[in-house]
Amino acid sequence: MSIIFVSLILLPNLSIIVQFFSESNDNWTHIKEHMLSTYITNSIILILFVGVFTALIGTSLAWLISAYDFPLRGFFKWGLILPLAIPPYIGAYTYHGMLNYTGVIQTTLRNQFEITVNQQYFNIMNMPGAIFIFVMFLFPYVFTITKAFLARQSTSLIENARILGSSSWRIYFKVVLPITRASIVAGVSLVILEVLNDYGVVKYYGIQTFTTAIFQTWFGLGDLNSAIKLSGTLMVIILGLLILERVLRGRKRFSFTTTKVKLLKPVPLKGRNKWLAFSYCMGIFSLAFILPLLQLIYWALLTYEKFLSNELFSVIGNTVFVAFFAATIITVMAIVISNFSRLHRGLTAKLFPKITILGYSIPGAVIAVGIVTLFISIDELIYSWGWTSSYILSTSVVMLIFAYIVRYLAVAYNSVESGFERIGTNFTEASRMLGNSVTQSFFKIDLKLIRGAIFGGFILAFIDILKELPLTLILRPFNFETLATNAFNYATNEMIHEAAIPSILIIIISAVAIYFFHYVLERE
Amino acid sequence: MSKKILFFSSIVLILLFLTACGGNESSSNEDELNLYTSRHYDIDDELYQQFEDETGIKVNVIEGSADELIERMKREGEQTADLFYTSDAGRLHRAKEQDLLQSVESDKLNENIPKKLSDEDQEWFGLTKRARVIVYHKDRVDPSELSTYEDLATSKWQDRVLIRSSENIYNQSLLASFIELNGRDEANEWAEGIVDNMARDPQGGDRDQAKGVVAGEGDIAVMNTYYLGGMLNSADDEEVKVAEQLDVFFPNQDTTGTHVNVSGIAVTKHAKNKENAIELIEFLSSDDVQKQFASANYEYPVNPNVEPAETLKQWGDFKEQDINLSILGENNADAVKIFNEVNWK
Amino acid sequence: MFVHIRDLHYKYPNAEELTIDQFNLTINKGGITTILGESGSGKSTLLRLIAGLEMPTKGNIMVGDDCMCSHSKFVQPENRGIGMVFQDYALFPHMTVKENIQFGLLKWSRKEKKTRLQEVLELVNLEGYDKRYPYELSGGQQQRVALARALAPKPKLLLFDEPFSNLDADLQIKIREELRKILKTTGVTSIFVTHDQEDAQALADNIVILRDGKITDTGTPDEIFGTDCDISERLAVKPRVLSKL
Repeated sequence: MSIIFVSLILLPNLSIIVQFFSESNDNWTHIKEHMLSTYITNSIILILFVGVFTALIGTSLAWLISAYDFPLRGFFKWGLILPLAIPPYIGAYTYHGMLNYTGVIQTTLRNQFEITVNQQYFNIMNMPGAIFIFVMFLFPYVFTITKAFLARQSTSLIENARILGSSSWRIYFKVVLPITRASIVAGVSLVILEVLNDYGVVKYYGIQTFTTAIFQTWFGLGDLNSAIKLSGTLMVIILGLLILERVLRGRKRFSFTTTKVKLLKPVPLKGRNKWLAFSYCMGIFSLAFILPLLQLIYWALLTYEKFLSNELFSVIGNTVFVAFFAATIITVMAIVISNFSRLHRGLTAKLFPKITILGYSIPGAVIAVGIVTLFISIDELIYSWGWTSSYILSTSVVMLIFAYIVRYLAVAYNSVESGFERIGTNFTEASRMLGNSVTQSFFKIDLKLIRGAIFGGFILAFIDILKELPLTLILRPFNFETLATNAFNYATNEMIHEAAIPSILIIIISAVAIYFFHYVLERE
Repeated sequence: MSKKILFFSSIVLILLFLTACGGNESSSNEDELNLYTSRHYDIDDELYQQFEDETGIKVNVIEGSADELIERMKREGEQTADLFYTSDAGRLHRAKEQDLLQSVESDKLNENIPKKLSDEDQEWFGLTKRARVIVYHKDRVDPSELSTYEDLATSKWQDRVLIRSSENIYNQSLLASFIELNGRDEANEWAEGIVDNMARDPQGGDRDQAKGVVAGEGDIAVMNTYYLGGMLNSADDEEVKVAEQLDVFFPNQDTTGTHVNVSGIAVTKHAKNKENAIELIEFLSSDDVQKQFASANYEYPVNPNVEPAETLKQWGDFKEQDINLSILGENNADAVKIFNEVNWK
Repeated sequence: MFVHIRDLHYKYPNAEELTIDQFNLTINKGGITTILGESGSGKSTLLRLIAGLEMPTKGNIMVGDDCMCSHSKFVQPENRGIGMVFQDYALFPHMTVKENIQFGLLKWSRKEKKTRLQEVLELVNLEGYDKRYPYELSGGQQQRVALARALAPKPKLLLFDEPFSNLDADLQIKIREELRKILKTTGVTSIFVTHDQEDAQALADNIVILRDGKITDTGTPDEIFGTDCDISERLAVKPRVLSKL
């Protein structure tokens, strides 16, 4: 079963891998000489800073919320996942919109106070700006996964540390960070993959990264072969990093099965600390969600008349339908594969899950090439049998859904895997000792224990698909619009006001999904 | 295990169902037309709708970036779209080179579209025209200072020039035209000079260059006319204010002419609905439609019978570069290499 | 001869040394055997091999008249009819005591399940606790639920992995005696794994001392401990009080 799934994922990547080994041409020298070194440096700087900051912000927020009680904590529990609802490139446009010369800050200063500030001080379109954008809109990946882990964490560890006289800071750095390592790695690797894949933010902000090199080679030099070679290199590097992490982590496992695990009981904060904690959460929340949303709403008010049509409803319907459907399949596949890898020893079982990452590690537009190739050849086959009068798969939404699966399996997989990691294998073994087969145990025990993680994986995949761009753009059937393609079309034409309405709709749908996710978890 | 099998087979069933729903749209059909486009303008959709109302032919659309669509067409072989529509002559030429297009004979098109704005073998046709011009601040720059694109690379403009990144196709086409007109070496020098004169590292889109001029980051910007048109007619008052402080200068009027590019459309080699496809192109080039194009998007119409929008008319007429637009595609890769070599971000 | 283990070998996939080296053991029906050893001696692995949770590199295991594993045969743990009490109990947190205990009664009728539930609850002295969730129970109660759950399907053989390590000392002594009584009442054959010599002494009919995967000594508690006061050195087992810290 899991073998079928994994090979399905592999197929489109295969056609890319084949080209990876083809002869290199003249362009290759040019790419090496003039593009690679600076582009790679930029990518590394970006990944490093975004990785460190998302880890710090994500875990510190998760820790505050799990361990302490302060005003609005109940809201922040899910509110801090909301920034995930804003696609980073929309965030990038929005922030630039706020800060540029005609943005709300400069115009207010100019028109109300008659102060003219040098625009350079408000310039966000540079490396630090891009890091800021990525951190703000991607930290919830780390936050969610770490929070889920801490929620089930044995209190004893933390209480012990407290009794031993550690300050809160010490506990955070000496206990919380190390024991949450697995979840931090899971979260940060999602963040890094998103960053490496991004083309929207870096293109708009004029930062040249590895992805820029791929697209410059394809679109600029018209050399898809070399572009695929570059993607392949990226894929290999990422795979190497992930395997290295696995090896370093070794046999260390951080699972808890004792029923003595008490839920971490939040300690009420008093006085200054209470407001410090609140301000920290509120500050991040404002920067990552409220401010951009307000800006989008303002723009939407300028242009809403254009959009009130039936067409908008069909676009919303399309978006929700494909996202829901694909996320469901993705979640089921993630469960099957991670369960297989968990219960089996040996290289295949450990290698399998890494394959799910493949699709997430190369730019969407490049995967799209692999997928089109695959589907066209399947269609040719079906066509040649005379079953159909034309190509049916490559012209239907099946191809798109398949592409989503290839791309976002890793997202759901990471969440499900961390769920399995938390419960370990003892419950399964206990169940088997009571006469249940592996499959029976899985449905009766494991599935129920990791419900939260499964649902979390589903929601993450769902939101990612809502926001997805390059694949949707190129692989969708005729006349098939989603909110993301809609927003993108306006944004690339520098019609950011018009892009506001679809962006807000993406945010609303994601927010509802996030709230629902939170509600289900709380009830447990 | 049986539950798993059940689940898997239900997924397969649903997939089959989805295929059945969505699968039959692309087949050749008398009343349909399949179009790949890299343009994303509302006016386009309105025009397709208008076309359907008039002729009963429904236009099915997939949008994507031009190069992705070319790749998709290549891989689809005989089962592909009928029309390819994109906002760069270079890309149209690239599609032609890959043998994806076919030649079209139509008197109407010959009448509506000037020869030089179409492919010499009539494999593609320009529909709208955009000029890449110099935009300057009315107070800080005297238009008499301005002359040519080449002049912008001289030390006179040190730290005063705003232009977006080299990833942008409009810049690539601009440089591609210089390679043709002035030779590779001079084009290289020009790019080097511009990099030296940049007021800041390239960032943002064309509108951001205009804002940069008003914000005082630089004095002149190189940008496409329709972006300024869009700003002058923006819903945001602040953008209008910014645009009003700027003016347009058409460079190289005494020499090689201002750089223009087109949005163009082509019938694909394996088009199943060729008649319909030609009908749509004729429709889009007709006087009425060209007028709508012009007014909605501030692009210049290709049809000589149609006047540009008011906003554009106030900037006056200008002399265009006299080169075959296919050149833009041929020189594109070279242009990109030059950009990389001179480190134009 | 109820349990018969012959020439058992086991090696972890990435390890160099054998974890279990040429292990032989026979246990009489109804007997309580304790495997005593330091941590790392391989005693838990041994238990997992008997349970079927690991596959031995070599060797045979017979329980009753059934061959559980040999070079040509491997019975899956769910089909062995062996019960196990885990070190951390592994009570299913999302199920009540009742659901936990009845979990293993797969093909029993509703009525049989109900009677059996009452029987085992009575046996472990937890009548009336059936609606509780595991987290609502004390450590000692959780352990007794784990025992009841393992006993419920009437296993041929019952395995205990460090059953007292999560309990405090007073409770440990009390439960130890209770446990021996329960086991003797039901007559189930059982194997304990522990690092605590007092546990071993108090519970076992027979003791096997395991070191580096090999048996170093076997016999009844009296034979092993006798009156010798220098036991700890001989066993290489630290005194209990120390090991508790």
